[in-house]
Amino acid sequence: MSLIDITFYILALTTFFAGVAVIAIPNPVYSALCLAITMIGVAGLFFTLEAYFIAGVQLIVYAGAVVIMFVMVLMLFDLKHEKKAFSKGLFSMILKIGSSAVVLASIFSAIYLTISAKPRLEEVNTDAIVAAKGLALQLFTKNVFAFEVIGILLLVVLVGAIALAKGKGGTHA
Amino acid sequence: MGSDLVEVSINTIKMLAIFLMMIQAVPMLVWVERRGSAFIQRRFGPNRVGPLGLFQLLADAVKFIFKENFVPKNAVKFLYLAAPVLALIPAALTFTAIPLSTPVEVASFELFGQSWGPYVFQFRGFEMNIGIIYILGVGSLGVYGLLIAGWASGNKYSLLGAIRASAQMISYELALGLSIVGILMIYGTFDLVELIGSQTGHLQFSFSGKEYHVGFLPNWGIFFQPLGALLFLVSAFAESNRLPFDLPEAEAELVAGFHTEYGGFKMLVFFMGEYGHMMVASALFAIFYLGGYHIPFVSVDSVKEFFLSTEMFGTSTLASLMTALVFHLSLLFKVIFLLWVFVWVRWTLPRFKYDRLMSLGWKTMLPWALVNTIVTALFIYYSKVSG
Repeated sequence: MSLIDITFYILALTTFFAGVAVIAIPNPVYSALCLAITMIGVAGLFFTLEAYFIAGVQLIVYAGAVVIMFVMVLMLFDLKHEKKAFSKGLFSMILKIGSSAVVLASIFSAIYLTISAKPRLEEVNTDAIVAAKGLALQLFTKNVFAFEVIGILLLVVLVGAIALAKGKGGTHA
Repeated sequence: MGSDLVEVSINTIKMLAIFLMMIQAVPMLVWVERRGSAFIQRRFGPNRVGPLGLFQLLADAVKFIFKENFVPKNAVKFLYLAAPVLALIPAALTFTAIPLSTPVEVASFELFGQSWGPYVFQFRGFEMNIGIIYILGVGSLGVYGLLIAGWASGNKYSLLGAIRASAQMISYELALGLSIVGILMIYGTFDLVELIGSQTGHLQFSFSGKEYHVGFLPNWGIFFQPLGALLFLVSAFAESNRLPFDLPEAEAELVAGFHTEYGGFKMLVFFMGEYGHMMVASALFAIFYLGGYHIPFVSVDSVKEFFLSTEMFGTSTLASLMTALVFHLSLLFKVIFLLWVFVWVRWTLPRFKYDRLMSLGWKTMLPWALVNTIVTALFIYYSKVSG
């Protein structure tokens, strides 16, 4: 086992257990911290794959954003109230649990499809992953439509979040 | 780390030395801060212990180490103790990615009956082709230390300080990231060494097919990106929580903010983190806008030739080492000047009000950074189309 393998196993185990802890730990503050560790672990995994640019972006965007969640947890959440609000009313409870089930099913099907898929190593363009220039060329020429659509989607989410936060919904307002 | 024993051991020693360099600079900066503030406020400052009060640092260190190890009753013990370390790690990790001087080329030599080398040792902790992305990414983790410290202390003042810290650092991170986009576009690279390499010689640029030369100015980034430099400097102040942006610890309002409950060596570790961020910010400013380790109008080759011509450092290895040291001193000079600017501003400007801080970050800094980016992009496009 080489040094890079040992690094991979340490990072992978840390990421895995931190990821499990995010949903297993009842205290939301620890949960947010574990999420941060998961994100940093994923960034470390990208580093071991020599995808430095993606690793850096992972750190800036994801690990940085968990801070916001941490503050949200500290300032806005009342967990007991949140649980009560979640299971209040039979119809809305069924709706909420049903939508959670849909999300869970899509996550599991995604995992299943990734496991059963065969890797096609010869088609991977390493330049597009490793170097920032290759990645930028891929993003802004070949996949520019998807890139712009995701941008618009994020804008919609942003506007929606502000609209929700301004009105009185749930325990967040 | 290296391919053989010599390379691995020298790289390990180098990493340790660079880390210790950062840690060792902290007491001196504390001294500069105290004497500098006294100088600005027409006081004496600590001047009793040793020459110029320099041994005050030792006395302080001893005091910090021997203080009682205290954990408040309401604190979450593990996180309370972990927070100072979490504040120090990002600063130390980012510092290792900064190129401190020209690489040292070691010619092959004989040792223990074996021939080694030749080697090239970079004058930095480790090499990475996307230096600046890494530094921004790891630097953004610094806020966790502050946030966890504030939350785990079990004190409302600490918590308020921590929440202020997180809001402030996230707001100004955007302006910080955007302010350097202009300079990155001009030089077209994320690699800090390449950035420094393109700032040699005298000021020259080509615009709409014509070459312009300004002989009396060095080819520094600050002449191409004055607005970017200003925005970067202001956001660097906010990122390292220094006055006029030290709202997280505003002692007039929050006792001492996020480190209210910390004493002794634990508080010193927070200090190390803050000064570490200052050092990284100063070094980055020097690299982006002041030519990094280069000396204006002096090329690396000419310095190396000078050392090769002397008798004492005549061999190529020694000449390369001495060249690296000379250019390291050049970077140190710039960094020390910028650190003095940090101290100078701290004792000159009053603290912002919190809402003013936020509106400055979002309504002034961010739009100007965007304008800077777009105007730079238009200039680059125009000069490419016409040239």
